[in-house]
Amino acid sequence: MPQASLRKEHFGKFVAAVSKGRKFFGPLECSDGVQLAELSPQDVPAFEYGNFTLPPKRFFLPRSEVIAVHGPGGMAATPPSQERVVLFGVRPCDAMSLTYMDKVFIDETYVDPYYRSRRENTLIITLACRQPAVTCFCASVKGCPAGTAGADIAASDLGDALLLESITDAGHAFLAEHAGLMGKPSTAQLKARDSQHADAGKKMSPVDVEKLPARLQAAFESKTWDDISQRCLGCGVCTFLCPTCHCFGLHDEQVGPVQRRVRAQDACAFPTFTLEASGHNPRTRQGARMRQRVMHKFCYAAENFGELFCVGCGRCIRSCPANLDIRQTLAEVPE
Amino acid sequence: MSTCVSANPYMAKPVTVQKITVENEARDLKTFRLAFVNPADRQAFAHQCGQFAMLSVPGAGECPVGIASSPLDGDYVEFTVKRYATGVVSSALHCLEEGERIGLRGPYGNSFPMTAMEGKNVVIVSGGFAFSTLRATIRYMLAPRNRPRFKTVTAIYGARSPGELLYKDELAAWNASSDIAMHVTVDKADANWKGRQGFVPTVLGEVRPSAANAIVLVCGPPLMLKFTIKPLLDMGFAPDMIFTSLERRMSCGIGKCGRCNIGSKYVCRDGPVFSYKQVLELSRGQF
Repeated sequence: MPQASLRKEHFGKFVAAVSKGRKFFGPLECSDGVQLAELSPQDVPAFEYGNFTLPPKRFFLPRSEVIAVHGPGGMAATPPSQERVVLFGVRPCDAMSLTYMDKVFIDETYVDPYYRSRRENTLIITLACRQPAVTCFCASVKGCPAGTAGADIAASDLGDALLLESITDAGHAFLAEHAGLMGKPSTAQLKARDSQHADAGKKMSPVDVEKLPARLQAAFESKTWDDISQRCLGCGVCTFLCPTCHCFGLHDEQVGPVQRRVRAQDACAFPTFTLEASGHNPRTRQGARMRQRVMHKFCYAAENFGELFCVGCGRCIRSCPANLDIRQTLAEVPE
Repeated sequence: MSTCVSANPYMAKPVTVQKITVENEARDLKTFRLAFVNPADRQAFAHQCGQFAMLSVPGAGECPVGIASSPLDGDYVEFTVKRYATGVVSSALHCLEEGERIGLRGPYGNSFPMTAMEGKNVVIVSGGFAFSTLRATIRYMLAPRNRPRFKTVTAIYGARSPGELLYKDELAAWNASSDIAMHVTVDKADANWKGRQGFVPTVLGEVRPSAANAIVLVCGPPLMLKFTIKPLLDMGFAPDMIFTSLERRMSCGIGKCGRCNIGSKYVCRDGPVFSYKQVLELSRGQF
């Protein structure tokens, strides 16, 4: 695996060099926490953060996007974006979430051209976690604070330098392209990385997901769902912040004389999500909607893709206004 | 299922509304005959009985509708659409006039088990406007070149009242045909109705089709399904011989938007046709 060391004092030059061919997004202290923001060479990146408030899915599935304009000859499709982007500092859990989204949007029958184009034109540089947040549980769901799934390049923060290790062909090419700014990592640096990675993994409390799909199936009609969901406000912030929640709707809107079709994020937490024109709604209760969200991630995804659609990022726990905790919810599923 | 890796699966193809038929007295059921503007789109559109497509009215949006015409019908595709006051797209469709242009994408989903039905006695039980995809199936089976592939065809179809029956000309023709045993019924007769009166499950009990070497297709409102499945099971139809078509709100039609799942299955992609055996597994027998 090709390796390189980038001194942090050269980070601005690195941003400048990369920005010649791509938009560079990296961690920046913003009013609402550290965000993945477009960086200029003068910006001082934030290297100490648990995770970004928003998951990186917005770079691949924007909250809303115009996919076509209606015209006299039919629909004129918006061409998929070809913009080349680098995302630096993505946490390993979020990078892994993209490999799950790929299974949905790039399947063997129908490929989503917007998602695919953005994926193909985006280089992901992860930054290993030194200090997982109290809400993190990636290690329980196939992840790890230094995981490389979904990464083109995996970076580790070694204090005064970043250790970069390329994983994919695109990552190898990127490191080769910017080799001038980087040096060969020392043995001491490699050792520091190893002990850092080992330490980080020990800092998370485990969540029991073993036999979860079967337990959930058996508990489908359990009263537990209505009990737990008593506290749920149905605000949908868990779905908005979840790196694997990908439900959307296609809507028409009129802006001035232009009629266009928009794809916008939607969420199973909302009662209108499944409301049919006839008035029939298969999920009228909050408990049924919460069950759907939990089962989609921890049961149906396992059946359809062989993976749990949860990467343990903990955003849903941190941001729930009612303090619902998915770890506790899973523990409350009857045996 | 065809592979569409290079195309943009969200783009509707332009179609012209060739003909609009008002089907019922309440005037909330219309059949739209649509013709593709581009011959290449027509060529590419190869559907099977039981599939659906997304109808797209610019400015209003899209909705899924079962295909009511047979794959053997001419250069058009037909859809019977019920208008709901709260249905944005169904209302927009009902405001259309002949000659207007809308969009269509599909066909989507699986189909009725046409191959498994070959060499078998086919029983069709239906109520209300869920009859549309079964009308496509009957038209397909009764086509002279297809009829020998199936044994007896028995159909029971009911509506609330005589004025609510769909496809009245075809019903009359099928009543007179020896290719199909057609049993039309209404929940409540009026003064002019000479036919059968009674709910679909009751008529099913009177007709009592044999379960031997048979497959039954059942489409209708959930209540009708509920009261039809039990007599079918009692008559000896096994759960994997009974097929129905399910509906859910949909947006993408291709298994991505996460809206229409029942358990781990998407109605748009894995359905809309499911055997009753699958319904038992997926939703514990609930429709």
